[in-house]
Amino acid sequence: MDPYEKRKEVRRKLRKLEGLPTLPPIVQRLNTMVEDERVSIGQIAELIEKDQVITSKILRLANSAFYGFPRRVSTVQNALMLLGINVIKILITTSSIFEILHKEDVGLWEHSVGVAACAKILAEKVELKEPQEIATAGLLHDLGRVIEKVAFLQEYNQIIEFIKKEKKDPLKAEEEVLGINHAEIGAFLMRQWNLPERLIEAVEAHHDLSKAKEFKKEAAVIHLADVLIHARGYGESLYKKVPPLDEKAFKILKLDFSFIKELFFKLEPKLYELKFFTEELKKETEGM
Amino acid sequence: MQRLPLAYIIPGMKTYEEVVDANGRTLCGKGVELTEEHLKRFQEFGVQFITVEGLKVRLPWEKTLEEELEGLEKRFEGISDPVLLNIKEVLKEFLLEKYKET
Ligand SMILES: [Fe+2]
Ligand SMILES: [Fe+2]
Repeated sequence: MDPYEKRKEVRRKLRKLEGLPTLPPIVQRLNTMVEDERVSIGQIAELIEKDQVITSKILRLANSAFYGFPRRVSTVQNALMLLGINVIKILITTSSIFEILHKEDVGLWEHSVGVAACAKILAEKVELKEPQEIATAGLLHDLGRVIEKVAFLQEYNQIIEFIKKEKKDPLKAEEEVLGINHAEIGAFLMRQWNLPERLIEAVEAHHDLSKAKEFKKEAAVIHLADVLIHARGYGESLYKKVPPLDEKAFKILKLDFSFIKELFFKLEPKLYELKFFTEELKKETEGM
Repeated sequence: MQRLPLAYIIPGMKTYEEVVDANGRTLCGKGVELTEEHLKRFQEFGVQFITVEGLKVRLPWEKTLEEELEGLEKRFEGISDPVLLNIKEVLKEFLLEKYKET
């Protein structure tokens, strides 16, 4: 099938959410509540707390090193105040996908949490508002890859083969096989889930900064964080070598190169915590 | 340098960074040799992780310096972009410092 036709087919499937895990039922109620200005954080917390599984997942992510709060986040209300309703909504919406991710592809999970931690450090350094949202964008940036694996397995295997045997660039391989790359797939789904545009753009443009319109800095942070985590060699993605870096990222962020060394020192302790976190998750799934 | 869960920490290890409690308060400076008292205090204040000097605990996933440097070369093989090569140099410096025994 030619890539253009294939692209249409992929988007059709994504629109119908074919083969994708269903969203937790709480998401819809949460969305209506969030839109209602009269609803308080306490009421939202109450709704979430009724679902114990979601509650424990949220608290766990809120306490993990990529957000890096010194205080222990022990209640949903606490998490809502520290992370903001946007982030909580995203974590609930994507919870089943992240469960698949750390069970099925622990390398990509580690890559994602590493990018989240790195993006948080960068966002704080360049003083972007709500750095925890940028960390969440980091967590989601390769969401499209998970979707490829879950909903387009045959095509995904072909992509892997193209990369291995023909030494193709991973993005090119995706575009040839699916007519669309993982950054676009991720952004497409995020739009469908009504997630904030700020995060969508950052995900959409993380391999091509020219795609960012309103949120260039956010996109530049995720792009740079992705390259730096590959360079550090934490986790795994389809890039076995460090992916191309768009130098403009430094200009967009007004970031001096000299910060990079400091960044690796700040990042390393977080990577240790994330490793222990992942090991813990692994043990739990194995024990199940 | 290693960052370890409190349960892995034994007296005699030296802090690489400040130790901060669950409320963001500093409990211990950097470069301090830890004692039994420190550890008790950390536990009371809900400290979960501590960054210590050197690599004192053998963690199954942790690489040696040689393995790290080898991996770094592999990841940058064939890359000629000068900015990326600068990042590689910075990483090398970082790794040498990280693995420095004190
Ligand atoms: Fe990516
Ligand atoms: Fe990535």
